[in-house]
Amino acid sequence: MLAKQVLQFRELLFQEGILFCYSGYMTEDILSSIGSTLKQKMAMDKTDKKVARGVFTLFVEQVQNVIRYSSEVEPGRCGHGQADVELRYGLLTIGQKEGRHFVSCANMIARRDVERLRGNLTKIQGMDREQLKALHKEVLRGATPEGSKGAGVGFVDIARQATHGFQFDFHDVNDDYAYFCLKAYI
Amino acid sequence: MENIHVEATERTPQIEFDFGQNIFALRGESYPEDVAEFYGPKVRALAAHIGALSGARIEFHFELIYFNSSSAKVLIGLFDLLDEVAENNQVEIQWHFEADDANMQELGEEFGEDVHHATFRMMPR
Repeated sequence: MLAKQVLQFRELLFQEGILFCYSGYMTEDILSSIGSTLKQKMAMDKTDKKVARGVFTLFVEQVQNVIRYSSEVEPGRCGHGQADVELRYGLLTIGQKEGRHFVSCANMIARRDVERLRGNLTKIQGMDREQLKALHKEVLRGATPEGSKGAGVGFVDIARQATHGFQFDFHDVNDDYAYFCLKAYI
Repeated sequence: MENIHVEATERTPQIEFDFGQNIFALRGESYPEDVAEFYGPKVRALAAHIGALSGARIEFHFELIYFNSSSAKVLIGLFDLLDEVAENNQVEIQWHFEADDANMQELGEEFGEDVHHATFRMMPR
């Protein structure tokens, strides 16, 4: 029963073309290890270098988004003389279907952030290469947006790398939280 | 100022800041856990040093294989700093990239577009 159940789960993943799947707390260590395995796998598959670099970029930017912004947080307990650590929950899938590579991440966000995020992503999605290039530079030079721990330029980078575009979606979970999913294609 | 030499890791580049010769380089991959923590002190030391120079010859070599978006923000800051310093100094910025890496080439060209005072060279290898 147990093996059958897990096998069914695995088959479900394979049907979707998913080669890597991680659901759990995302940390920089997880990023490093999945990242190096992903590079190895793409080298073994002789994935076109340009595609491989693009997939790696999508992976890094999306995982770092979860690490920085997922609202599903296990708060850090103050250790003696140790920095507070937060663990943020997310779901990562990487795969290949119908000749396209994809990287997808999903995580909880605060419902109050949904409209801002939807607005930003819709704007970016509608831009052509030249507009994205201009926005990229503008964001790189601009002040770091409020609530941003990174450069706030990750989504623009994702849009530029995703040669076959990206999809995103939100689903309300309760009064406070919504589930956010982004899937980018190369 | 004491030279800065930091070995590369899987996620951070080698840093060579030679303040005696005014030759500076970043080499490798850059997607650190905390960009501000990794680059902050080194970039501040660089800015303090070259900001005080006049009539000097300065070289900066970017030899990066991959960098993430938060590192890009640091890089554009370095370009702006070098270009500003180039008003009083002879500054050369070299952007090294693998000849078949169109993405790094494109990023180099984009950063190079805004260089007005320094000499900017694309260096395929």
